[in-house]
Amino acid sequence: MSAIVANGLAKHFPPDIRAVDGIDLDIPEGQVFGFLGQNGSGKTTTVRMLTTLLRPTAGTARVAGVDVLADPERVRKAVGVALQEVGLDELQTGREQLSLQSRLFGISPAETRRRVNHLLEIIALTDAADRPVKGYSGGMKRRLDLACALVHEPRVIFLDEPTTGLDPITRDQVWRYVEELNRDGVTFFLTTQYLEEADRLCHDIAIMDRGKIVAKGSPAALKSSTGSDAIPVSFATAAEATRADARIRRFEGIDTTAIAGREVVAYLKNGASAVAGIVLALNDEGLTVRELRLAQATLDDVFLRATGHHLEVRERPDGAAVPGGAA
Amino acid sequence: MSRFLTTTWLLMARALREARRTPANDLGNAFIPLFFYAVTVGAVGGVAREAFGVDDYKGFQLPVALLQGAAGIAGGAGLALTQDIQSGYFEKLMLTSTPRFAIVLGRMLADAVKALGLSVLIIAMALAFGSGFETGPAGMAVLLVGTAAFARDNSVTYLIEGQRSLITAGWEPAALLKGAAAIVGIGAFTFTLTALALRSRAG
Repeated sequence: MSAIVANGLAKHFPPDIRAVDGIDLDIPEGQVFGFLGQNGSGKTTTVRMLTTLLRPTAGTARVAGVDVLADPERVRKAVGVALQEVGLDELQTGREQLSLQSRLFGISPAETRRRVNHLLEIIALTDAADRPVKGYSGGMKRRLDLACALVHEPRVIFLDEPTTGLDPITRDQVWRYVEELNRDGVTFFLTTQYLEEADRLCHDIAIMDRGKIVAKGSPAALKSSTGSDAIPVSFATAAEATRADARIRRFEGIDTTAIAGREVVAYLKNGASAVAGIVLALNDEGLTVRELRLAQATLDDVFLRATGHHLEVRERPDGAAVPGGAA
Repeated sequence: MSRFLTTTWLLMARALREARRTPANDLGNAFIPLFFYAVTVGAVGGVAREAFGVDDYKGFQLPVALLQGAAGIAGGAGLALTQDIQSGYFEKLMLTSTPRFAIVLGRMLADAVKALGLSVLIIAMALAFGSGFETGPAGMAVLLVGTAAFARDNSVTYLIEGQRSLITAGWEPAALLKGAAAIVGIGAFTFTLTALALRSRAG
């Protein structure tokens, strides 16, 4: 059975912003589904429509078998949501916050006490439970926010960039908890900008760009669709990269290429055997290679092919932006 | 219905807990009406009969102090709601299965409770100043309810006239009915606007 289904789901804002431009989704129960995209690609707007916080301009959506427009209250009972911005009442204690959240879902006081104690233990906040939230660190707030989404034991959980801004240890804790809940059959809809997160957690992913889904499938299938190897080649100028792209395309064994600024990435089956030939061919064209690497294709390569730009950007010591991304 | 009442109660308790933890926010609401009541009565009370033909200026001025306090509390409630929206907590409430109306009503009732407490303080001060009260304890109760309702709705002229009548004139049904109608009318109008606003935000 499907946990989330959307058909032609769209959200337009006046005068002419198409934040989400007619997307289709069919996410089976028990799956961790990743929604990848840059800021402004429409990920959060999609989450807000699916969780009844925003009315779609067009299309239909069913979450946990319930139409989001026809019966939003039943949808809210079935889903847990942790939005990108931690939404907590800083004057309440962690325990009060969780308890209130539980009681507002109609859970009895006795059951609320049991669930709150259990969750506080899981998120390692038992010692800080009776302190006001305003004194919590960013990681503690994020964990409490996540617990608020879980207190009514939903079968579908939406996490909007749940680990953005977290330190690596807390990030790993969140991932392990997602994996644990998923083993119990909970479906996750996860938006992220972190490829490592998508690669580790998601059974299937969709890549979102300018309000549209431009690629969809399992991480392994998407990566293999680009060719097994990637050879990113950097030049001094974008014009050189464009010339190099035209030359590399003619090279035997190349599946496809993609350009991002001053870099061309060649995708192919057996990269090691082609590296020398590519360098020589580019040299014959009078092009000076600044940097060349041989790597396995990553989700960032999938993203680059689908959108024409990298998802993750990391800074080199000299300050220049170079593509990042995890294997 | 019981679910609606329970969630309203829970949200009212949360707003009162918040007020208890930030007493400074309500200190101004108490200080300003008490201060101006004392200053105005002290400065004008002696000449009120000659200047305006008002015999009991302490009683005449009491509704103004009460509504000033209630207005401060109502303003603070608006600010608190804005802070909830800005912090994202309002959306967390919207994502629960709580009836939308209870989210707003819970906070408003908390403000009514706060306004009631402040009114008791102001009336006690007025009585200590020697203000009369033509309608006695029953009128006092009506005055308190009216002020608490004002904290929720905000409806000035008719309400102040109705309240003043309780203190300085006795039971005047016409003035009281106008005051009650102002509260109910503006309350219905603002509640409808709130409900429509919530509906447009979400499903």
